[in-house]
Amino acid sequence: MSEPNEVADGQDHSLDPRVIPLQRITGGLSTAAISLGSAVALGVVLLVGDDIPGSVRVLLPVGWLVLVALGAWQAYRWPAIHYRYTSYRVDEQGIEIRRGVYWRVVINVPRSRVQHIDVSQGPLARRYGLGTLVIYTAGTDHAKVELAGLEHGRALRIREHLLPSGVGDAV
Amino acid sequence: MPSEQRLHPATLLFDLAGHIKRFAVPAVLVIFGASQSSGGPGGMFGRVPAGWESWLLVMLVPAVIISVARYLSFRLSYDQDGLVIRSGLVFRNERHVPFKRIQNIDAAQNVFHRFFGVVEVRVETGGGKEEEARMSVLPRAAFDEMRRRVFTERGSVAPELPDGEVAHAEQAVGETLVHLPLRELLLCGFLENKGMVLVGAAAGVIWEIGLGNRIMGQLFGGSEALGRSFFRQVMRGIFDGGPLPLAGMGLGLAALVAFLLIVRIISMAWAFLRLYDFTLTRIHEDLRTEYGLLTRVTATVPIRRVQTITVRAGPLHRWLKRATVRVETAGGAGVKSAASVREWLAPLIRQEDLPMLLQGVLPGFDLAAMAWQPLHPRAFSRAVKPKLILDAIVTLVAAYAIGWGAIGVVILLLPWSIVSARHFVKHLAWAESDEMVVMRSGWIWQQMTVARVNKIQAVALHQSPFDRRAAMARVRVDTAGAGEFTRIDIPYLDRQVAAQLHERLSAHAASSAFRW
Repeated sequence: MSEPNEVADGQDHSLDPRVIPLQRITGGLSTAAISLGSAVALGVVLLVGDDIPGSVRVLLPVGWLVLVALGAWQAYRWPAIHYRYTSYRVDEQGIEIRRGVYWRVVINVPRSRVQHIDVSQGPLARRYGLGTLVIYTAGTDHAKVELAGLEHGRALRIREHLLPSGVGDAV
Repeated sequence: MPSEQRLHPATLLFDLAGHIKRFAVPAVLVIFGASQSSGGPGGMFGRVPAGWESWLLVMLVPAVIISVARYLSFRLSYDQDGLVIRSGLVFRNERHVPFKRIQNIDAAQNVFHRFFGVVEVRVETGGGKEEEARMSVLPRAAFDEMRRRVFTERGSVAPELPDGEVAHAEQAVGETLVHLPLRELLLCGFLENKGMVLVGAAAGVIWEIGLGNRIMGQLFGGSEALGRSFFRQVMRGIFDGGPLPLAGMGLGLAALVAFLLIVRIISMAWAFLRLYDFTLTRIHEDLRTEYGLLTRVTATVPIRRVQTITVRAGPLHRWLKRATVRVETAGGAGVKSAASVREWLAPLIRQEDLPMLLQGVLPGFDLAAMAWQPLHPRAFSRAVKPKLILDAIVTLVAAYAIGWGAIGVVILLLPWSIVSARHFVKHLAWAESDEMVVMRSGWIWQQMTVARVNKIQAVALHQSPFDRRAAMARVRVDTAGAGEFTRIDIPYLDRQVAAQLHERLSAHAASSAFRW
């Protein structure tokens, strides 16, 4: 076994706070894409449909605006809430991940059950120095457990800690 | 020692037969279709010379060449710690399968195989959707040798075996855990009721060929008119108080009963063919099942590879004091056919023999000593709510559709919902011991799932908003190869109890080394 790794402190940790702006950007981008697409569709409908009554002609764009505003608000607000309800704990036994705002779940993956681990990084996450830890087990429901929004170096250290030390793990 | 094994020459014959079988259905359809269309003048195939059908056989040539190449190139040998399989004439491939990683060796032998003294062998290791090696067909002696080598090799590395036993491993007859005599076999077929599947398949084929209409026509001579007048008569009898066609109705009822009986009898015959002489033996650390009248299947699963065990019993099973037992293993999760070959532990077993079987498979597991824990006291009010909401929706739809008749729907639905929720909660319980976690569930179809703690992959504690309001939680245990109905998933637990169970199980799982 390797020397005690400082990530295995048995404390509950939040994600890296930089995940909030990161998720706001990705959320904003997808909201923008959806709004743009639906705006084009709405425009086509309003131009082509001659027999649409006047009241509907006014209501449709208003409804669209309301939905877009809601989407934008959600994209801004949600990452902070999500951040508040996500935490993880690494100890000698393994890793425990808590997440979910309304539907909450606590997943425990023992160290000895880890098959392999990915640390992945998207282009935006790279700019923020964040990474996603993906833990694979031989299970069915939790064959793949993801934890996004860790500082990249920390994700690598957790990976080092969780990977089986090679003794007695006959696969 | 015989260092190399080849496939049996009969391989070529079986391969050819397989190709022809695969080829036969489309070929027959083509010929059939062609003869129909060219029946009239100027049909699509009208200008094709006679005897063209035999040219279809050309399509078999590539497949036959591949078979011959496979036969010529295949070599099976053994080295220090594994099987070595060489194959390929042009692209050479050498595959190494370590003995220690072999999950199970399955063998099937149908009537023709038995005539030539050969077996079809499948070797599976842990992951992957496909078997690691498929040897079709090997001489019987080669299969015996493989089994001996694989299992003695494993026996010598297993530390728990006393030294003396290793030497005798091959002669070991083992302890018979389950054997199905004829009576149990027929009973199993009766309870399993697979006949419906066969009848469905047969009906499909008949309809496909277009025989259906002809038969119906023969039987009823204009069945449609008859059917319609019959139903009109019944309707009139019910609503207008006219005379009911009692004779017709009796005939129909008798036909239905006869049909159900025939289905059951077919099912019994099917079970007789498929599971004939079902034997489960325990040979040291392996479970071996053998069954089948025409196709004899032999499957071997190491006990430590058993992930979960599921015991199921329907109302008839309970009345007859019987149950069925299945196991899940990790290998070949994607291949249904392979799984169905060896998932049976006992297609039918007397309930009094159940504790012994479980003990044989899971040493130290004592069913009677399990301390069953109930759900949260208020679990019923949680379980019944979704049902009531569903009832309300159905009733509203019914009220919209049929008006006041919806009251009848309520009278039917409401008691059912309450009773079923009540029994669901009453029968759901869980228990844990040092090495197992057990859950039982179900009311009409009752089942019990046993998972070994050292097979647990991950433990999850779920809390929905409703759970939080009621201070409850759900614990899910994830194992390799868990099916939808064979997993441990305990709802409506007290939050404290659930958190402790979750903590205990994950600590326990972490401290036990996982072996496949």
